[in-house]
Amino acid sequence: MSRLRALLGLGLLVAGSRVPRIKSQTIACRSGPTWWGPQRLNSGGRWDSEVMASTVVKYLSQEEAQAVDQELFNEYQFSVDQLMELAGLSCATAIAKAYPPTSMSRSPPTVLVICGPGNNGGDGLVCARHLKLFGYEPTIYYPKRPNKPLFTALVTQCQKMDIPFLGEMPAEPMTIDELYELVVDAIFGFSFKGDVREPFHSILSVLKGLTVPIASIDIPSGAGIQKVGWGRLGPYPPDSCPHQV
Amino acid sequence: MSSAAGPDPSEAPEERHFLSTAEAAALERELLEDYRFGRQQLVELCGHASAVAVTKAFPLPALSRKQRTVLVVCGPEQNGAVGLVCARHLRVFEYEPTIFYPTRSLDLLHRDLTTQCEKMDIPFLSYLPTELINEAYGLVVDAVLGPGVEPGEVGGPCTRALATLKLLSIPLVSLDIPSGWDAETGSDSEDGLRPDVLVSLAAPKRCAGRFSGRHHFVAGRFVPDDVRRKFALRLPGYTGTDCVAAL
Repeated sequence: MSRLRALLGLGLLVAGSRVPRIKSQTIACRSGPTWWGPQRLNSGGRWDSEVMASTVVKYLSQEEAQAVDQELFNEYQFSVDQLMELAGLSCATAIAKAYPPTSMSRSPPTVLVICGPGNNGGDGLVCARHLKLFGYEPTIYYPKRPNKPLFTALVTQCQKMDIPFLGEMPAEPMTIDELYELVVDAIFGFSFKGDVREPFHSILSVLKGLTVPIASIDIPSGAGIQKVGWGRLGPYPPDSCPHQV
Repeated sequence: MSSAAGPDPSEAPEERHFLSTAEAAALERELLEDYRFGRQQLVELCGHASAVAVTKAFPLPALSRKQRTVLVVCGPEQNGAVGLVCARHLRVFEYEPTIFYPTRSLDLLHRDLTTQCEKMDIPFLSYLPTELINEAYGLVVDAVLGPGVEPGEVGGPCTRALATLKLLSIPLVSLDIPSGWDAETGSDSEDGLRPDVLVSLAAPKRCAGRFSGRHHFVAGRFVPDDVRRKFALRLPGYTGTDCVAAL
């Protein structure tokens, strides 16, 4: 059997397409298991909880996360649309596993998705769309919208699926607690640096007063990912919003 | 509401299980034009869901090492692009895909999808090992022809590949429609295949009524409810977060 496979390997491969494996010691997450498959998915994409518990998950620094992103875009020729779709779908899947509709009070369960001004916000738009397909009732607050086709298209997809966009952020945490059973924080991602500008500073203050659960996409917004101690918005267990590539 | 083609409103709104080729094209057009989905988005969702369907039909824990090897045969059109995405996700799911993609599309989508597979060390065969195929692989994914693509359009190598796929003794999974079937009538053309598994993308096509293999799945959970209703389409219930449903 192995001789047969060796024969196939020698004779039949298109030699020109074999790209040398990139030797990048700086991207630490590539050491050990290949980075695209650190978590085992069994059939149907369900989590194998025993495997998860025994698999050591590596947490990336901001530089490492940005380096992974760059490699995906530049070397692997993934597009932002592609990765954003997979990210948003994975997040919706994770949220639905953590907070299945049957465990929520309302039918359909109501979810507020707060989208920031960058790619994390885009992930949130995709996530909201898939949550709708999964039987939730999402509402989006998207105060700062980049004027790029990617984002305008994602907004159109949500609008056409009758996902409402709020005109303003509820000022009181209690209002959100009454209307929504879950909040998705898709405000800032791993590229975030520096001070939080309005309106997001006020938004984060409101979120800190919530009693309903918050699911943060990639990182709890406003938390420096190099630092510890981020108050109300985290930390969340590592499987709360995995990116599946 | 948009003016995209749809069923005659004067007809009884009885829900159907299949789409005609024209309706499938109209549904796709609505998603692309009215809903502003990108083609790459939809191809990614279909390819990912197709891979999930393969894992449901052939769960990894039950497979030997050889059985995990999957040959994905890709044509030059959209069906082939879905096949390239499917192969990549199968790799992530720890199967061992190999791709045969003899007639390559020049469009950017196909080129980028090819790069992604190459970078993930998925081998591309330079020719199809006709005599060895049943020994070398555990199953084959047919992503050669989609609905509305004439066999004559895709060139000699694909046509010859389909002739090989007719003689398989290992399982065959066809994406969207069995390549070579008439998408409307399902009548066997010369190159008609008999797949064990049919993975209908978004919604079954009319020819799926003639499918008599082991499993029929719908894969690709992205059709908004309004669109589904507009086409009077009855889709199987997806459970939970599944992107694949068995029919």
